[in-house]
Amino acid sequence: MHDLNLMVAGPQGSGINFTSDSFAKLMTREGYQVFTNAELFSTIKGEHSYFRVRVCKDIIRSYSERIDILIPLDSKSVLLHVKELSKDGSIIYEDKLDDPRHAIIPYNDILQTVATKFGKALSEFNVMKNTVALAGATKMIGIDKEKLKKIISENFASRPKIAEMNNAIVDEVYAEFKPSKTFDLEPVTYKKRMLINSTHAVGMGKMVAGLKFQSYYPITPASDESNYLETIMDKYDFVVEQTEDEIAAINMAIAAANTGLRAATSTSGPGFSLMVEALSYAGMTETPVVIFYYQRAGPATGMPTRHEQGDLKYALSAGHGEFPRVLIAPGDHKEAFYDTVEAFNIAEKYQLPVIVLLDKAMAMSNYTVDLFDLSKTRIDRGKLILKETKDYLRYRFTEDGISPRSVPGVKGGLVTIAGDEHDEDGHIFTEDADNRIKMMDKRMHKTSSILKEVPPDMKVKFYGKPENKKVIVSWGSAKGPILDAMEVVKDVSLLQIRMMEPFPVEAVMKYLNGKTIIDVEQNYSGQLADLLREKTGLEAISRIVKFNGRPIAFEEMVQVLSKPKLGKREVLSYD
Amino acid sequence: MISTAATPPAKPQSYRTNVEIDWCPGCGDFGILNALVLALQEMKIPNEDVVLTGGIGCSSKIPHYVNVNTLHTLHGRSLVQAQAVKMANPRLEVISASGDGDGLGIGSAHFVAAGRRNVDLTYILFNNGVYGLTKGQASPTLPYGEMPKSIETENLKFPVNPLFLGLASGFTFVARSYSYNIKHLKETLIRAMKHRGLALVDVMQPCVTYNNINTKEFYDPRLYDIEKEGWNPAANNEEEYKQKLPQAVAKSMEWGDRIPMGVFIDYQTETYDQKLQKLVPDYGKKNYVMEPIDSAGKPLNDITKLMESFC
Repeated sequence: MHDLNLMVAGPQGSGINFTSDSFAKLMTREGYQVFTNAELFSTIKGEHSYFRVRVCKDIIRSYSERIDILIPLDSKSVLLHVKELSKDGSIIYEDKLDDPRHAIIPYNDILQTVATKFGKALSEFNVMKNTVALAGATKMIGIDKEKLKKIISENFASRPKIAEMNNAIVDEVYAEFKPSKTFDLEPVTYKKRMLINSTHAVGMGKMVAGLKFQSYYPITPASDESNYLETIMDKYDFVVEQTEDEIAAINMAIAAANTGLRAATSTSGPGFSLMVEALSYAGMTETPVVIFYYQRAGPATGMPTRHEQGDLKYALSAGHGEFPRVLIAPGDHKEAFYDTVEAFNIAEKYQLPVIVLLDKAMAMSNYTVDLFDLSKTRIDRGKLILKETKDYLRYRFTEDGISPRSVPGVKGGLVTIAGDEHDEDGHIFTEDADNRIKMMDKRMHKTSSILKEVPPDMKVKFYGKPENKKVIVSWGSAKGPILDAMEVVKDVSLLQIRMMEPFPVEAVMKYLNGKTIIDVEQNYSGQLADLLREKTGLEAISRIVKFNGRPIAFEEMVQVLSKPKLGKREVLSYD
Repeated sequence: MISTAATPPAKPQSYRTNVEIDWCPGCGDFGILNALVLALQEMKIPNEDVVLTGGIGCSSKIPHYVNVNTLHTLHGRSLVQAQAVKMANPRLEVISASGDGDGLGIGSAHFVAAGRRNVDLTYILFNNGVYGLTKGQASPTLPYGEMPKSIETENLKFPVNPLFLGLASGFTFVARSYSYNIKHLKETLIRAMKHRGLALVDVMQPCVTYNNINTKEFYDPRLYDIEKEGWNPAANNEEEYKQKLPQAVAKSMEWGDRIPMGVFIDYQTETYDQKLQKLVPDYGKKNYVMEPIDSAGKPLNDITKLMESFC
């Protein structure tokens, strides 16, 4: 078979993520491309959650509606997901099912044998039922059991006894389970790849960028990134500070940036809302701070663990007054890595706040990525002054609007940062009308330099045949299912818009002028289509949207793009 | 007010800028500015190694009058930005200024959280009971039932006691001084700056324009120095701290005919930079600011091992 789809479903806290993560890792090490999708309930224990793992020898960027192997860990999961199981699929479940697809594994006998071997009661092994199922699945796919055992040992490195018990279960399943059906994936040539999500990609990007200060307040799905950074701060010698609230988080990042460090904060919608006053302050004070904004389904608390791209317009316009900002939206983990490095360069070079707009799907969907090419990364700190200087003025007028930037500790370069309108030396006792015009011009002028100087593929990326009449415009993680669908629906191309502010009008016009434009977004209204109209006057003939909290599935994308006539508004709803 | 494109440069080594001060004549803020400048002169810290942050309000404009690095931040954010400056570069002498509205109203979450960290910096609270810059509304420290001439109705809220809250939050140096007693204030600021840890200096600072109750005439006969009456605030270990803290709290609650000033607690314990070393062993050894992150544009950090960990 070309691609295999496995789902692990069950109550939160029953080991479903352990099972799916182990499987994904195993297949990554086999050399396959892996794509995962996590649908978690916003709770710690008990509620129904499910993980999908898709495996293929070729690149895959979306999940499938089809399940080939279903591992439900409770009866509710059987009822909810059996409808997605393909007719040739298998369901691995401990109790007897009236379904020919049921792969029967003697759970009880296996666990009893292992319990006896370890001199323990059977009840202690109930929590390891997921390992029975996982080993059953890998046996049906024909994976060497030692490879699975190695991953289990790594996962339980700090608890070797638990690893040993789980591995004994693997041995027992491989010995006792005689599957009536096997899944034969097309063979693959091994290639080393990482299995990561965007929180890892951003975290690694920040290390390359030389980040020294990250502040954050816990929030789903952004805090995974800060928590990852916490695990490596001892090795890379930098500070991750958990603050009292998001107001503190952004203010600390701003202050650290003005002290001379590369500084960032990471958050999601509700947290970003608290940061908005300080965002405006960063614009006024020309502070190079970078905000990593992982969108989730809103408004208000919304659905904290679910996906949405609903904050584009908000991130573009948040903050009182007019000030320049840069907004970049990576569309996959690889872009998230390189964009992160570049975001700090842009922030320091142009001395302004940069927002990197990500989303829940990117934060929680692990998939395989080639190792990053570090030779493509670079650092540009702009007009930073770290050596003795004189006649220094923090906001000196220059031709390009960018002033030399000293930091505290530099002799002769006293820094005066002010959020009030200020004169060249940062003092605020001028509300002089001419000074106001010059300062506004100085700040706002930066955007035109950015549009000129930022490399073309940071602004937009074009995929597909240039001669196609139909062009999709989209952004962020919607790119994955679109690119996958384009391998089936070949008469449509994609223009991925990557930099929304300043908006690259010329680049967009170059690809879209005279085309039939189809907008695809994971929000209710089609915010990018609105932005496109505002900036270029171009109108999408159809807005394909999805806002039920789940990312777009491969099949529904193919289906809607294959329609002979698209409606003005097409709502996707697969869950 | 003079409006020019650029203010004339200050004299070298002077701790005052030439920026014209826009406080009302007779404002208690002048005393704090003078005491701070005197303290800096006496301590002889190079101007470029001092950072002064302010929030928003009359008092928070003080950064513009002191010739050091200054961050004029947002309303309520003076203390939180000051902590990040010190964390980013522990070699700097960091002072944070803020009014009682700025620090204990809109910024109160930061005030409490700051106590939990114990970053080595000095926080000066300009305490006058009103929001001066917005024409005298009641601030969090205005006593219950009071009605200064600037407000239309009596104050229905209980006041926050900055000393008590500072002690409760974990500030390791808590003091009160008075803007018309420059000598005491200067000495207190020097002690606060020399203290290793988070220092609060609550300064009784009359607002001559809006607060006609808490005036010089009100404070002069009431303020007394607890240290002159035998109180020793020093706590050199946890045991002494636990023993002295309740007494310091009791003293901090005095208000009426006699109002205490002086240092209430001076506790030497782990500062935040020392605590950070538990998580980041090399923290503070290198100067993050001056340490290069690239060599001719090539990043110096190698992430090969990080990438390997995901394979």
